[in-house]
Amino acid sequence: MLSLIVFLPIIAALIIVAVPSSQKQVIRLLSLVAALAQGVLAYFIWQGYDPSLPGITAAANGSLDGSFQFIERLPWITLDLGTLGTLNIEYFLGVDGLSITMVILTALISIIGVLSSWTIKKQVKGYFLLYNILSTAMMGCFVALDFFLFYVFWELMLLPMYFLIGIWGGPNREYAAIKFFLYTLFGSVFMLLVMIGLYFSVIDPATGNHTFSLVAMASQENYLPGSILGPESVTWRYVAFIVLFIGFAIKVPMFPFHTWLPDAHVEAPTPISVILAGVLLKLGTYGMMRINFPLFPEVFQASLYVIGVFGAINIIYGAFCALAQQDLKKMVAYSSISHMGYVLLGLAAANTEGMTGALYQMFNHGTITAMLFLLVGVIYDRAHTRAIDKFGGLATYMPVYAGLVTVAWFASLGLPGLSGFISEAFVFVGAFSSEVTRSLAMVSVLGIVFGAAYLLWSLQRMFLGKRKPDAVYELQKNAEGEEMIHFHDWKGKNDLDGRELAMLVPLAVIIIILGVYPMPVMGLMTTSINKLVEVLSPMMMTALH
Amino acid sequence: MHSLIQLSIIVLLLPLLSFVLLIFFNRRLPRGGDFLGIGFLGATFAISVYIFWEVVVTAYDPSFRIAWDFTWIDFGDVPGFGPLEIRMGIMIDNLTAIMLAMVSLISFLVHLYSTGYMQGERYYGRFFAYLGIFTFSMLGIVLSDNLFSIYIFWELVGLSSYLLIGFYFHKDSAADAQKKAFLTNRVGDIGMWLGILILYSQFHTFGYEEIYQHIRDGEFHMSQAWLTAAGILLFMGCVGKSAQFPLHVWLPDAMEGPTPVSALIHAATMVAAGVYFVGRIFPVLTPDALAVIAFVGAVTAFMAATIAITQHDIKRVLAYSTVSQLGYMVLGLGVGAYSAGLFHLLTHAFFKACLFLGSGAIIHAMHHEQDMRWMGGLWKKMPWTFVTFIVATLALAGLPLTSGFMSKDAILAGALGYAEVEGGGIYYLIPALGFFSAMLTAFYMGRQIWLVFFGKSRTHLKPVDEHHGDHAHDDHGHHEVHEVAWNMRLPLVVLAGLSVFAVYSPDPLDGAKGWFMHLVQTPQTAVVSSGGVHEGEHLEAAMYAEAAGHGEAAVHDDTHAVDAQGHQAVEAHDDHGEHHGPVFDDPRQAAIAHAAHANHDTAIRYSTIMVASGIGLALIVYAFGWINPEKTARRIRPLYLYSFNKWYWDEIYDATVIRGSLLISRILAWFDSNIVDGLVNGAGALTRRVGFFAGGVDRYVVDGLVNFTAFFVQTTGSLLKKIQTGRVQTYLVMVLLAVTAYIVYYVFQIMP
Repeated sequence: MLSLIVFLPIIAALIIVAVPSSQKQVIRLLSLVAALAQGVLAYFIWQGYDPSLPGITAAANGSLDGSFQFIERLPWITLDLGTLGTLNIEYFLGVDGLSITMVILTALISIIGVLSSWTIKKQVKGYFLLYNILSTAMMGCFVALDFFLFYVFWELMLLPMYFLIGIWGGPNREYAAIKFFLYTLFGSVFMLLVMIGLYFSVIDPATGNHTFSLVAMASQENYLPGSILGPESVTWRYVAFIVLFIGFAIKVPMFPFHTWLPDAHVEAPTPISVILAGVLLKLGTYGMMRINFPLFPEVFQASLYVIGVFGAINIIYGAFCALAQQDLKKMVAYSSISHMGYVLLGLAAANTEGMTGALYQMFNHGTITAMLFLLVGVIYDRAHTRAIDKFGGLATYMPVYAGLVTVAWFASLGLPGLSGFISEAFVFVGAFSSEVTRSLAMVSVLGIVFGAAYLLWSLQRMFLGKRKPDAVYELQKNAEGEEMIHFHDWKGKNDLDGRELAMLVPLAVIIIILGVYPMPVMGLMTTSINKLVEVLSPMMMTALH
Repeated sequence: MHSLIQLSIIVLLLPLLSFVLLIFFNRRLPRGGDFLGIGFLGATFAISVYIFWEVVVTAYDPSFRIAWDFTWIDFGDVPGFGPLEIRMGIMIDNLTAIMLAMVSLISFLVHLYSTGYMQGERYYGRFFAYLGIFTFSMLGIVLSDNLFSIYIFWELVGLSSYLLIGFYFHKDSAADAQKKAFLTNRVGDIGMWLGILILYSQFHTFGYEEIYQHIRDGEFHMSQAWLTAAGILLFMGCVGKSAQFPLHVWLPDAMEGPTPVSALIHAATMVAAGVYFVGRIFPVLTPDALAVIAFVGAVTAFMAATIAITQHDIKRVLAYSTVSQLGYMVLGLGVGAYSAGLFHLLTHAFFKACLFLGSGAIIHAMHHEQDMRWMGGLWKKMPWTFVTFIVATLALAGLPLTSGFMSKDAILAGALGYAEVEGGGIYYLIPALGFFSAMLTAFYMGRQIWLVFFGKSRTHLKPVDEHHGDHAHDDHGHHEVHEVAWNMRLPLVVLAGLSVFAVYSPDPLDGAKGWFMHLVQTPQTAVVSSGGVHEGEHLEAAMYAEAAGHGEAAVHDDTHAVDAQGHQAVEAHDDHGEHHGPVFDDPRQAAIAHAAHANHDTAIRYSTIMVASGIGLALIVYAFGWINPEKTARRIRPLYLYSFNKWYWDEIYDATVIRGSLLISRILAWFDSNIVDGLVNGAGALTRRVGFFAGGVDRYVVDGLVNFTAFFVQTTGSLLKKIQTGRVQTYLVMVLLAVTAYIVYYVFQIMP
C-alpha cells in the first residue's frame, strides 16, 4: 500500500518517458491519474488507519505491529564491512499519527499541483517527469522509517526541485535554484554524518545488529553504552542534535536560514510554489518531530527555550517583513515564514496541546498556503505582475476571485471558523501552559495583529477602493454598459475559470470544515502526539537513567 | 437535551442558513433574496421570544440555568494530566434569554428596515447575507458557555463588522474604516486571548462555570496578580469590541457602513458584546481589575461625551454617544453595579437602535445628507421619525419615565456607593465623571434635536464645493423631504415603545423593582473566597464591611438595620417586599451592594439636576440663541479644536503605532534582504573566492607540480633519448668511456 502510494508517480514518470513529447495532453493526464490514484490510496490509508495506535517507538513489548501501521519492511542493502560488522539498510515504511496527516496532505497537494501545472507551456514532458519524481520523493520522506531510506528520499527531492525552479522559473531563476540547492545540501551533509554516527550507536533489539531504523533509534535503551552517540556521550549528542536541527531548520525555514525561501517562491512557477510551501516546508518540522527530537530527547528538553525563541522570531519577524513587501508573492512567502514559526513555538511547548497545534498547523498551513499561492498565480497569469500597488478595486470586477481571496486571506490571518485558527490557538494554549515558553507566547501574540495587518492591507490595496490610475488592467464597457475588467493579452475568463475553481474550492471547503470540526484530522494525531510528548518528557528520561 | 436548548440551536443556525443561501444565490433570487433573510430572522425572533417567555416570564427565577455541551476536541490521554477534552456548549440563563430576544428583535427590525433603506443598492442581496452571518455570530456569543467558543464568535462578529463597514468597499474611506475596525479589535482580542490562556493554563478547561469553581476551590496556583492580570486582559477584549478608551477610535469611523448596520452592530448589539462579556467573566474579576474597569469606563464616558458636543455629522454624534454610553455600562460593571450595567446594555440597545434608524430615515429622506448644519425644520415633514427620535433621545439623556433614566441612575448610584466603600478620594472621580457626562449627554442630544428637527431648513446653505459625495445630486436641496415608508417606520415605533419605563419596571424611578434587576443579579465573586484568604485580606474585608456602615453580621442579612446612610436603601427594599438582592459571601461585594442602594436617591437627585442643566444649556444655545455657539467656539478655540478633532487620538496613533510599525517593518525588510541575505550571499561569494583561490592553487601549484614533474620527466627523457641511438659503436664508446672514468676514479682513490 505505502510502496504503491510512494512509487505511483515514478511509474507514471516511466510511462511518460515513453510518450513522445508532442503528446502534451497525454503527459498531463498521466500525471493527473497518478496523483488522483495517490489520492484514492491516501483515502484508503486514512480509512484503514487505527488512531488508537501510538507509533513513534515500538510498542511496550517491542513489537512494531502494535504501534505503526501499514508496515513494509525488507532488507535492502547488506554490506560486509569486515571488522566494522555489516551495514544493514532496510526498505522500511510505515505510518503513525505524525505521518498519516502528512501523507494525506501530500496526496492532496500533489493533485492540486498537477492541476495547477496545466498552464506550463515549456517542455511539458520534462516538467512532468521531474514533477513526478518530486512527488515520489516527498511521499517517501513521510513514510520512510529507516533513516538511510529517509535520507535517500530527502536528497532525491533536491534534484527535481532544482530543475523545476531553474528551468521553469522567473527571470532570476538560476540564482534562486542554486541558492535553494546549496542551502538544502548544506543541511543534509551534516545529516549524513549524524546518521552514520547514529548507526554505530544504535542496536536493533530484535536482531542485535546495528540499524538505521528510526523506530529503534527513538528508544533510548537501544543506544549502546560507550558508543559515539550513546547515553554518556553528552557533548557529541548536543553536537548531533544541533547540526540535525540546523539541517531541518533550513527546510522550515527558520530565521536566520530562511532567505532562500522568498527567492525560491518569487522565481518558482505557481505549482512549484504550491508544492514548496504546501509540503516541502513541512518536511523540516516533520523531521524534527520524527528524528531530531525523539532521538535526543534530553537535548531537546534543554533547548526548548531556544527553539521557542526562534519560533517567536519567525512569527514576528516574518510578519513585519511581510508588511513591507510590494510583491504579493513575496508577501505570501514571508507569511509562510511567520506561520511556520507557530509550528516551532508549538513544538517548543513540548506538551500535547502545543504539539498537536504544531502538527495541525503543518496540515493547515499546507492547505491555506497552497490556496494563497494559487490565488497569487491567478492574478499573475492575467496581469503578468504581482505588484500589490498595481491593481485596486478588483473586488468589483472579479467578485468570485475576490470572494475566494477573502476566504484564504482570513484563513491565513487566523479567523475562527477556518482551520488556521484552531492550530494557532492550540499552539498558543500549549506554549502558554508550559512555563518555559510562556513569555514567548505572550510576545508572539503580536503576530496575530501584524498578521492581520499585512493581509488586510494587501487586500485593501488590491481589491477594495477603485482602480488605481497606474493599474495594470483596463476597464471596458460591455454591451449592457457594465464596466468589465480587461487584461492585456489575456484570452481566458476574467474571473476564475473552471480549472481554477476546481483547485480552489476544494481547498476552501477543507479549510472551513477543519475549522469548524477539526477531529477528522486532529483525531488521527492525538495518540501519537501523546506518545511523543511522553517520549520527550523529562520524567521518561529520569526513569531511564 | 432540554427542549429550550434544541430551540436555541435552531435559533443559532437559522441566520447562518440565511447567510449561506444568500451569499451563493442572492443574484439568482428575486429581490436579491431579502424575503429569505427576513423569513429566517422572523423565525429566529419568534423562537427567541418563546425562549424568553419560557425563561423570563414562566420560570421567573434568578438562578435559572440550563446547559448542554459536547466534546469538540478529544486530546486523548495526555501524559502527566489524564484524559483531556475541549468541550463546546450552550448555556441559557436569564441574561442569555434576554439578550437572545433583544438581538433577534433588533436584527429582525433592521432586516425589515433595510428593505427600504438599502433599496436599489448594487449588492442588495449580499447585504442581507452579511446581516445573517452577523446575527449568527452575535447569537453565538450570547449562547456560549465557555471562553473558547465566545472567542470564536467574538472574532466572527469582527468579521461581519468588517464586511459590513466595508459594504461600500469602492469608497476608500469605507475600506480604511473596515481595516481600522478589524485591526483595532484585534489589539483588544490578543489581550482577551492572553487572559483566556492564563485561565486555561491553570485549569485545562475553557468553561465559565468550571473555571469559577476551580478558582473558588483555590486551584489557581499562580499569584493573585496573575488573576488580576487575567481579568484586565480579558477586559481588553471588551475595550476593543465595546470601543472603550483607548481603543475607541474605530467605532466613529465604522459609521462608513450603511446606517442600518450602524444601528444593529455599532450601536445596539455587537459593541455591547464587550459589556456582556465582562458580565460573563464577572466572577473572576479581582477588586483591582474591577477598579481598572471602572476607571476606563468613566474616562470613556466622559471623553466621548466631550467629543460628541462638537461633531457635525448626525451619525458621528450618535457614534460618540454610543461610545460614551458603553463607557457607562463598563463603569457600572466595574463598580460592581452588575445588574445596572447590563440593564443599561438592554435599554441602550433599544433607544440607540431607534436613534440610528431614525437618523437613517433622515439621511434617506435628505438624499444622503449627514451634516446637521444643513438640516433643520424636519419635524413637520417627518412626524413619525420626529416623535420616535424624541422618545429615544429622552431615554438617552436619561429623563424620568424613560428606560434610560432607570438604568443610568442605577449605574450612577452604584458608582457613588463604590466610591464610598473604596474610601473616597480618587474613586469619587468615577461618579463625578459619570454625572458630568450625563449633563454633556443631555446637551449634545438637545443640540442634535434642535439642529435636525427645529428651526428652518438650511439645506440651501450648504456650500457648493462640498458636493462631492457619491450620492450627491445636481439639484441638491431642492428635493421634497418625505416621511419614510412603513417598513422603515414600524421599527422606529417598536423601538421607541421599548424605551419607555413601563416595559421594565412598574416604578419609573426605580429599575430595581422591575423584572430585569430581579432576574439578572450580581453573581458571587469567585475571587476573594479562593484558596485561603490571607490575613491582610481579612482585614480589608472587615474594613469594607465597616465602610458600608455595618458589621460582619450584616453581611449575610440584606435588610439588617444599618446606620443613617444606609437607611434609605433599606426603606427602598421594604417598599416591595418581594425584592431580595443576592446574598453575598464576600463582604466587599455585600458592602458595595448596600452602598449602591443607599445612594439610589442621591443619584436620582444629582442626575436629574445634571440632565436638566444639560437640556437647559442646549435650549439656551440653540433654541433661544442667547449664546452664539460659533462665537463661543472661537473664544475657547483650543478646547473646541481638541473636542472637534476627537482629542487627536487618530493623529497620535498614526504618528506612533502605525508609522512605528511600518518603520519597523521597513527596517526589518531591509535587514532581511541586506544583512541576513547579505550574509548568505556573502558566504556564497566567499566560497567562490576560496574556490577561485583554490582553483589558482590547484592550477598553478598542485597542477604546476604535476606539470613540472611531467615536464622534468619529459625533458630528462628527451635528453636521455639522444643517447639511445641504437648503434653498437656508440654504446661501445660509452662503455669505454665509463670504464676509463672508473679506472681514473679508482686510481685516484688508491693513491694516497
